[in-house]
Amino acid sequence: MHELFAFFVKHSKWFIFIFYVGVSCVLLFNKNPYQHHVYMTSANAVASSVLAASNSVYSYFNLRETNDDLNQRNAELQSEVIALRQQLELMREDQIADTLQLPDSLKQYKFIVANVISNSISKPYNYITLNKGAADGVREEMGVIDQNGVVGIVNVTGNHSCRVISLLNSNLRLSCKVKGNDHFGSLVWEGPDPEIALLQELPRHTVYQVGDTVVTSGYSAVFPEGIPVGIVMADTQHRNENFFTLHVKLFTDFSTLSTVQVVDNRKKAENEALEAKDFK
Amino acid sequence: MSKTVLAFILKFVLLTLAQAVIFNNLVLFNAVVPFVFIYIIISMPITWSTNVSMTLGFLAGVTIDIFSNTQGVNALACTILSFVRKPVFHLYIQRDEDLGGLKPSQRSMGSAEFMKYVATMTLIYCLCVFTIDAFAIFNPLRFAIQVLGSSIFTIILIYALDSFFTQQPHEKRL
Repeated sequence: MHELFAFFVKHSKWFIFIFYVGVSCVLLFNKNPYQHHVYMTSANAVASSVLAASNSVYSYFNLRETNDDLNQRNAELQSEVIALRQQLELMREDQIADTLQLPDSLKQYKFIVANVISNSISKPYNYITLNKGAADGVREEMGVIDQNGVVGIVNVTGNHSCRVISLLNSNLRLSCKVKGNDHFGSLVWEGPDPEIALLQELPRHTVYQVGDTVVTSGYSAVFPEGIPVGIVMADTQHRNENFFTLHVKLFTDFSTLSTVQVVDNRKKAENEALEAKDFK
Repeated sequence: MSKTVLAFILKFVLLTLAQAVIFNNLVLFNAVVPFVFIYIIISMPITWSTNVSMTLGFLAGVTIDIFSNTQGVNALACTILSFVRKPVFHLYIQRDEDLGGLKPSQRSMGSAEFMKYVATMTLIYCLCVFTIDAFAIFNPLRFAIQVLGSSIFTIILIYALDSFFTQQPHEKRL
């Protein structure tokens, strides 16, 4: 017994080494980002407050680009509003008032504005930390967009902060389609380039052209249908007979991400309850 | 002794904060990152046992992992680095008594020897981190650029940091 004890003491550094390597590997090989504990991510209280403080300085650095983007988006929206108003007027004239059921159907989505307090684009699994959390109505599996397009999906929520799986994370697959037809594929990021993602598993008979816009399909209830994602680039690769893969240039500039919106789908619970019923 | 511990705690907090807030954002060419916080492990008093240095190294790694959302990558690399710290140190200084002080630094080891020590440690660290990353996305050219670029960037910053930490204003030089 004494010798056994002496053996452990003598080689203690090997045992401790193996122990720490083991703990690290458990953390490392837990690939499912929804299983990460909030204390082990940047959404915990201490880390998020430190990152928020540093972001209050960093956020000034790209105000100009953000402002330009917002102005442009604002102009587009304004022209769209005017066009829609005109259309609405025409419709009102044409249709009988009681068949029009507009206000209710538009209330399905609510947007929560949040600031990015930490972000990375150079790692194989990138995450974003936001300064809004459960107390502000952010819940897991909500979509996140910015003024240009899709950003990611919330996966860990703290009280006043949350962590988002970036679109630049090989764990994230997003159901998308080429605008103008209904064939959908899944968008995944695999490369080191933060501007380019792949749209995979698209049926072979899908019609598309270089420069077409890729939008969300709206099948997953995380994002509304038609949120812009990127444009189709010139090169395509044929993987096998029935499906092909498109290279997509993303609209969102992840290197200067600052203000984003979290999409709160109010009918999501209802939809999910409905889907769960189907299985019974 | 307690002064050494206090100085170490201060250095630990300062460097992990600086890494989380400043150096993690200093990404060059979307590939090269300086890992300045490994100076915590590099400059740890050489009399401290490997068990202590591994525990502290692991803690530093986990803290950086939490801030940069890299589950376990830095924790594993820091553990390995703390484990090889003494053997690497003894490559350049054979006996602990030859060290002109408690901690490895430019003054206690001499500039050339300290440079070699820092370079070896940093290269080991960068190899560990980017090898772990390479399991997800492997691209040989990018891997080489990341390892060499990050090592050089880190070595320069640590060398500067060491001059800053070990300077003594009242010292008279001949």
